[in-house]
Amino acid sequence: MLKGHQSWVFQNRPMITATGVTGGPFEANGNLAKDFDLLFEDLWMGQESYEKAHRILMEEAIKIALNKGNLEKEQIQFLFAGDLINQITPTSFAARTMQIPYFGLFGACSTSMEGLALASFVINYQGAKNVLTGASSHNAAVEKQFRYPTEYGSQKPPTAQWTVTGAGVALVQPNEPGANHPVTTSATIGKVIDMGLSDPFNMGGAMAPAAADTIIAHFRDLQLDPSHYDLIVTGDLGRVGHDTAFELINKSGLELKRKQFQDCGILIYKDDQPVQSGASGAACSATVLYGHLLNEMKKGTYKRILLVATGALLSPLSFQQKETIPCIAHAVAIEMNV
Amino acid sequence: MASKQKNTTPQQQRYQALQQKHEKKRPLLKNCIRAFFVGGLICTVGQAISYFYIYFFDFTEQSVGNPTVATMVFLSMLLTGFGIYDRLGQFAGAGSAVPVTGFGNAVISAAIEHRTEGFVLGVGGNMFKLAGSVLLFGVFAAFVVALIRTLLSMWGVL
Amino acid sequence: MRNTYRAMAIAGILLLSGCNVDQQGKDSQLALVKTTNPKPIVTDGQRTPTWVEEIKREVSSLPELYDVAVVKGQEGTLVVYKVKHLHRFKMKQIEKDVTSFLEKKHPKEKFTVSSDYKIFLEAVRLDEKMKSPKFPKKKAEKRFKEIVKMTEDTK
Repeated sequence: MLKGHQSWVFQNRPMITATGVTGGPFEANGNLAKDFDLLFEDLWMGQESYEKAHRILMEEAIKIALNKGNLEKEQIQFLFAGDLINQITPTSFAARTMQIPYFGLFGACSTSMEGLALASFVINYQGAKNVLTGASSHNAAVEKQFRYPTEYGSQKPPTAQWTVTGAGVALVQPNEPGANHPVTTSATIGKVIDMGLSDPFNMGGAMAPAAADTIIAHFRDLQLDPSHYDLIVTGDLGRVGHDTAFELINKSGLELKRKQFQDCGILIYKDDQPVQSGASGAACSATVLYGHLLNEMKKGTYKRILLVATGALLSPLSFQQKETIPCIAHAVAIEMNV
Repeated sequence: MASKQKNTTPQQQRYQALQQKHEKKRPLLKNCIRAFFVGGLICTVGQAISYFYIYFFDFTEQSVGNPTVATMVFLSMLLTGFGIYDRLGQFAGAGSAVPVTGFGNAVISAAIEHRTEGFVLGVGGNMFKLAGSVLLFGVFAAFVVALIRTLLSMWGVL
Repeated sequence: MRNTYRAMAIAGILLLSGCNVDQQGKDSQLALVKTTNPKPIVTDGQRTPTWVEEIKREVSSLPELYDVAVVKGQEGTLVVYKVKHLHRFKMKQIEKDVTSFLEKKHPKEKFTVSSDYKIFLEAVRLDEKMKSPKFPKKKAEKRFKEIVKMTEDTK
């Protein structure tokens, strides 16, 4: 049901019944390694190219989610997923393998919440019984496309971010009262915001206003107060963008406490890992939400969270042509079923 | 870094000012010191190699340049292949990019990266993706300098 | 990864030590690093004429230079020197000056002037070899010609 200007309220409370989270070697050394279902020892994952390895990440995550949900792939009606590679081939090729009717999404790093919002919407209105949604990224494949070759010795500035290798997939099903699963309650779809920043090594700074705009719109549309949520988590702003977004939100008059405002890009890696400002990539918010955050919710650490995945909608061509970086953010509210 | 386009709205300018406050700057002095020492170290290795060729082979100071450069590029290719050079690059910045080893690294890293697209379209087509502009502008600059020199000596200035 | 570093270090040591079997005098081993100041030599093994010794003294007195080696062959004289570090930008000019200075003083002699380390090293090596009485004079002359030829690439 539409509420306010750009938000949906899911009154039937679609349920996230199972998740599958895969990661690479760098994530295995990270802060949240225990929340991954499957970690690969090496970036190649036994494939001959990074793009194929990228596909494997997604396929394995889907298989794990199906396994945990006790479903066969034929029972899934739709798959909402995407990634960062040109023409989102890794996800489309994974969809070819799985033979699930498929919506390919591109929202850069905000794909995870774009997919979850759409999946929840479809389930909420009985458009399907079982829907999968997810996002993935592969460090080497993304670096190859957007930046320099992986082995090229260029010095990254402190605002640069590290692309997560991994995939996070969630199985969304209609609500069953009493089941101990997280449910999605509302979603806010963001608009594209461009504050005129053009440095591809400072995505956090470019994306912060989009995150702030979506968060402010969410509380305005739903007429809520930030204290409604135990945790408000941004997708991959990194340290630079996260501080900026915090200031923007507080300036708008919303009373957000520092402790309840976190960022997936800061949570996922340890402080001593050489990631400069933090993590990024479509898999960043997907793996942290479907792995770590949902696990914590099931343990009872958090009751209600708002996840705001942010995406920088640039291409390697657009930044070489000196275009600024337009950014987007989508928010989905998740709480435990009661 | 804010864009230098002049047609930014006041709102964008306000945000960019706010963002600047949170943006971490590159530690310029630290980077310079690191670049100085690592660059110097690489050049010391190069000097040692050229002395090696002078001592044990018939190369004079003038002609030793070519084998020394070839050896340094070969070493940087090995380090690139073992995945060490990119970490050195993050530490040293210009110190590892400016010497000829940085050129070797730019070529071989692109070649490794695009091996999966095959030898012709992948390795061949992309090998000079980064180093190509160095070659082009290097050759062009050399041409311009040579032209100026020729003209000057024709007019009897030199 | 640590093993790779170790293997590379060992390979490096082997490479350096393996090439050092060629027996050399102490002076030529360090000729590039320290001042060797070799005595002027003549390839026919005779006593060095005073005018050759004078060349060495005169060239050494130039303030931009240090460490001068002079070798007199049958057809010419080789003068090699090291240029002080701060004057290395003017090397070409110095070479010209030294040549014209020598040619003015000894118009009949053919001079080869060089500031190349390699030529200097070879001059010192030749000097060391000639110290042994077994070293044939013909070989010395031949090597001298080779060195002079080598200077041609450096021009």
